[in-house]
Amino acid sequence: MRSTDKMDSRAFVNQFMVYTLVAICGSASIGLGMVWIRHQISVAANVNKALVSSIDDLQRRIEETDAAIAAEQDPAVLNRRNSEWQLGLVPPDETQIRNVSEDPVTRLAAMHNRTLFGEVPATVSFRIALAH
Amino acid sequence: MSKGFTTNYRIALLATLVLAMFAGIEARLVWLHVIDRDELVRSVDEARRELIVDNARRGDILDVHGALLATSRSVIVLGVDPQFLRPEDRAKWPQLAQLLGMPESDLERICTTKTRPAGPVVAVPAQQPSPGIVINLAPSAPSELAPEAQKPDDAKPDDTELDEPDQEGNRPIRWAKLSDQVPESVYAQIERLGIRGVYGSRVYQRDYPHNEMAAHIIGYVNRLEQPMAGMEHYADFYLRGENGWVESEKDGRSHELAQFRTREVPPSDGFSVYLSIDANVQHIIEDELAKVAQQYDPKKATIIVSDPQTGFVLALANYPSFDLNTFNKLPRDDQGRMRNVAVADEYEPGSVFKIVAISGALNEGLVTTGTEFDCTLDKIDYDGMTRSLPRDDERYDHPLSVAEITAHSSNKGAAQLAMRLGDRRFYDYARAFGFGQQTGFPVGGEVVGNLKAPEKWDSMTITRMPMGQSVTATVLQMQQAMGVIASGGVLLRPQVIRQIRDSHGELVYSFERVEERRVISEQTASTMARLLMGVASPDGTAPLAAIPGFEVAGKTGTSQKLMPVTLASGATVLRYSDKHHVVSFVGFFPASHPQVSIAVVIDDPDGRCPPGGAYGGKVAAPVFKRLGERLIPYLGTRPTIDNEEQRALALEGGVR
Repeated sequence: MRSTDKMDSRAFVNQFMVYTLVAICGSASIGLGMVWIRHQISVAANVNKALVSSIDDLQRRIEETDAAIAAEQDPAVLNRRNSEWQLGLVPPDETQIRNVSEDPVTRLAAMHNRTLFGEVPATVSFRIALAH
Repeated sequence: MSKGFTTNYRIALLATLVLAMFAGIEARLVWLHVIDRDELVRSVDEARRELIVDNARRGDILDVHGALLATSRSVIVLGVDPQFLRPEDRAKWPQLAQLLGMPESDLERICTTKTRPAGPVVAVPAQQPSPGIVINLAPSAPSELAPEAQKPDDAKPDDTELDEPDQEGNRPIRWAKLSDQVPESVYAQIERLGIRGVYGSRVYQRDYPHNEMAAHIIGYVNRLEQPMAGMEHYADFYLRGENGWVESEKDGRSHELAQFRTREVPPSDGFSVYLSIDANVQHIIEDELAKVAQQYDPKKATIIVSDPQTGFVLALANYPSFDLNTFNKLPRDDQGRMRNVAVADEYEPGSVFKIVAISGALNEGLVTTGTEFDCTLDKIDYDGMTRSLPRDDERYDHPLSVAEITAHSSNKGAAQLAMRLGDRRFYDYARAFGFGQQTGFPVGGEVVGNLKAPEKWDSMTITRMPMGQSVTATVLQMQQAMGVIASGGVLLRPQVIRQIRDSHGELVYSFERVEERRVISEQTASTMARLLMGVASPDGTAPLAAIPGFEVAGKTGTSQKLMPVTLASGATVLRYSDKHHVVSFVGFFPASHPQVSIAVVIDDPDGRCPPGGAYGGKVAAPVFKRLGERLIPYLGTRPTIDNEEQRALALEGGVR
């Protein structure tokens, strides 16, 4: 009887030890999992930060480019380029401007039609290859 | 069940150990979390917590078509910590010098100077403003921005001051500025060089892409990011944004631990201000001003172009002017260039002011355009007293009609028209035209001019004020007054801001035409426009202002300047000078439906004018014409007078 009691208590202790070890392993796994999750959070946060930083960097580049474009579009700069590159561009003279009140597309089409069918006789030329 | 390794003794020992261990841990935890908590939390907070201010970007100033006039762009303030430089990087120094555009010898001197004499530690205010907005966003690469590099000013004491001086009394240099103007693209190349110890801090810098253009309208922001003048100052409320901030933690190397961010408040960038200024029109008038300056070398000159139907200013330029990007390099005695003389300086407007007396008399029905006045009189009785009339440049052999008085700019005629109105009514009309009061123009430190009430007039005022003496006005006031006639009799507030938009381009506020009051009837305004067309006719005072194909209405002004004269007694008095004039032409076109209003005022062009040549009709009117001819094609203004020759040429697409 005594021997049986002793064996029962040992069995209990053994089970207790096993469960304790299992619990320790389990909690260690949970702990490791938590650490891994925290690490992942840290990685994600850093990636996010780097992305935000690169977006801001791009935005700054865009702003820098915008400012450079604006500087290049300055009329004084354009005039200088015009003379440097000998483009010969000049603003239109008032005498060269014809103000039209009707729809410009219709007007241009009408002008085109006049050329084709109007007062000016149309000339048609054919290239004929003669066989010798 | 097997006995295993367990015995009562071992179990007891193990249990005791485990319990003791847990008890120890618990005791330590209680110690840390309860007893020593406050102290530890404070020290952790100090060591790890950080508040990162994310500065907002200042809004842009744009022209009516969205062209940038003022913008903020980030530049890098680049410095070096000589203590961190590696010998193996020395070979890269020439490349660095080339990228920075500085002589290699200078770079070498900065990099090899490792100490400076220890001076007294300068007390620094806790909130010392930086010369630009430091962007505190975390760097994308670990080497990008070192914490010690977050000091954009090399004059600012840094860790150097905390280092102990060596035996010779020198402190190590931890930060020496290499350049404060490194563009982002160049900085990227510098980073690729990988020189350890070379760090940059990013700051926003105000940039004015068009340099001098519209300098007096745009104004500027100083190095401390304080708006100092112009639109930058007036619209600062819209332009400056709201800073954001991040509450976070940092590690032992002062790197932010992004995962411990607790609060993030993003910055609100400033709004953009869209002006009514058109960069192309502005360029045209500045170009003309430059020609005026070259031709006449005046003391100052102003040109304003505005839309007479809305009152919005399309362009405003003064001579002399200054470059907004280098405003801080102007010598102290040359800072008068920054003055917006169009609104901050007043002058006697001369004959342009005659529009008040003529409009008033017509509007009251006291005269018609055909009513004639004897303009040969030297004296006239008025209000029970004989008054002397001012001289006219011409002698007339017949009485002049109101139309002729306008076209010939007769001083005697204008005086008699004002007398028809009477002191009070003439004064009231002058006030109604906007004289003696602010126009409400937002920039430039506007002055009101001088328009005395009739109670303070002397016996000569009623004869002199109608011709623009004994009264002063700003150029903008003259433009506004002429705008009354061009707009059909309504005084419009001159405005320069068209829209406010947020950083995403959404419309926040739009400014519309503001009518101050009706001054004269539409009928009178139309009559006045017709009369003023006579000024630019071959019989008028400004035939040189006429633009072929267009009805030009306007008025010349030539006023003598009050100059100090030393009398025989030694006293100095102000006298009207025959050698110093302010000449002007203020007008609009087409007269029948005005679309462009232009004021040209040139102060003291006499030096390079032939004797007797400094007249509004000879100096300012041609400038008006040239401007008109350049603006017409750009603004798409249609001719009102049919020109058959021109029509035929354009139809054929001919080129002269």
